[in-house]
Amino acid sequence: MTRGDGYAEQAASAYERAAAARERAANAEEAALRHDAWALEPGQALHTEMAAALRKSAGCHRSSAELQEAFARRMTRWAQGHGAVRPRFMTGVAEACGTRSAALTLVDSGNSQLAVAASNEPARAAQELEFILGEGPTRDAVTHRGPVLASGSVIEERWPCYGPALIALGIREVAAVPLDTSLRRLGALAVFDPRPGLIGTRAFAEVVEALTRLVLLDPDADPDLYGGTDHRDVVQQAAGMVSVHVDCRVDDALALIKARAFTLAMPLESLARSIVSGDLKLTPEGPS
Amino acid sequence: MTTPRQHLADIFVELSGGSPESPLDSPGLLAALAVRSRELLGVRACSVLAGAGDSTDAAEVYASEEPARELVLDAHLRQQGPGPQCWDTGRPLPRTDLTGLMARQRWPYYAPRALALGHTHVAARPLRGRDRTVGALVLFGSDQEPVTDEGLRLGQSLADIVAIAVLRERELHRSHTRTDQLEHALTSRLAIEQAKGILAARKSLSMDESFAILRGHARSHQRKLAEVAREVVEGRLAL
Repeated sequence: MTRGDGYAEQAASAYERAAAARERAANAEEAALRHDAWALEPGQALHTEMAAALRKSAGCHRSSAELQEAFARRMTRWAQGHGAVRPRFMTGVAEACGTRSAALTLVDSGNSQLAVAASNEPARAAQELEFILGEGPTRDAVTHRGPVLASGSVIEERWPCYGPALIALGIREVAAVPLDTSLRRLGALAVFDPRPGLIGTRAFAEVVEALTRLVLLDPDADPDLYGGTDHRDVVQQAAGMVSVHVDCRVDDALALIKARAFTLAMPLESLARSIVSGDLKLTPEGPS
Repeated sequence: MTTPRQHLADIFVELSGGSPESPLDSPGLLAALAVRSRELLGVRACSVLAGAGDSTDAAEVYASEEPARELVLDAHLRQQGPGPQCWDTGRPLPRTDLTGLMARQRWPYYAPRALALGHTHVAARPLRGRDRTVGALVLFGSDQEPVTDEGLRLGQSLADIVAIAVLRERELHRSHTRTDQLEHALTSRLAIEQAKGILAARKSLSMDESFAILRGHARSHQRKLAEVAREVVEGRLAL
């Protein structure tokens, strides 16, 4: 059995991007060799630094190629009818971090979530908690422009609302690192229960930089991660509807939906669907 | 070299792009390279030829004085002379006597013009970036203000610093543009979905019907869909 809907094409496209990334890595290595040679000229020590920067860049391109290849292999099997769950690009990212749960979150200049790509349900639920509660590691990593690492009781202490809810998802440790595009904030990668000692390693830094490039900086960048990015379209539609029903600003309507989802312990998406379908009408007092 | 070390260090900092808070843009860096090279190397004149593409594409020229700028700009347009040659090959062009047979044969138009400006010899050093050459530093000398071996070595150092700073600045600029574009695309999508919800609730329509109204309005008023959506969301436009 084979599946339709362009899955084989997605696999082919991932292999192409992997090949392009391998070529970029080879170019960077070659350029590093040139700088090595120039560094031997008198007074040209600057080139030693350049060679090191280029080798770092090559490592990041190789990491990018590995992520693409891992996704391509999964997608090929899926297209041939194997497996029960459609592969997600983030599954490979999580695996590279020694876990099953990882999420990439893109934010606007005000640090509001714009889109999320998650490897699995706990990772998705964790990002939704941050979206609803307005606190958490992704938000902090973007604000402070540095890595955030918390485990055990520190999670609950640091984030009084998000912390307990995250623990309730069965997560014991979380790490988040911003996707660095120098002066601009783009988002962050959050990993849950990562391989011990992962944070701060070169391999992890390469995964993060590879991800930054392949969603944004590469000429063939794909912010949609092969359709794996969730834009919460239905939630935004519901916010528009509620703003009319309640006669308030759309931002306030969104806050109302988030609050209701949290008190009802309901996924935002399901709540939003019942609003959009007309089954549920929100009022400031409560669902009617 | 009689230049005090501190002065040299200051120039290196200036040419490497200034501070991260107030970076020099690439025209500023390239212009500073021309002026500082002339000053530090004690040569007669310096020009910098650089561009974002290949050596035959559009280029910018900066120089320590106007005649040298015009000379190198003209050389670029004619693709003749040490600047274009050095940029094209990516290799240093050794000190070359402008009265010599080689210069006259290789640069029949350029050599006499350079001589007429009072230069007797010329050399060029590539602006070597991360993985390609982005231009050339051209050094003009005379008997009184010659291009020396030491001057050429220092010239290459200055050129390297500037080339790397220019590439970093271009990369940064590209990254900003792409981040802006991505954020704009994502926030536009958000506004469109919200506006669909508003119209759907207000007029009891399906999401598809709401979208058709938004798109129809945008088309008939020749406006961007996202702009129309934002106005609906902000209550400035009632469809």
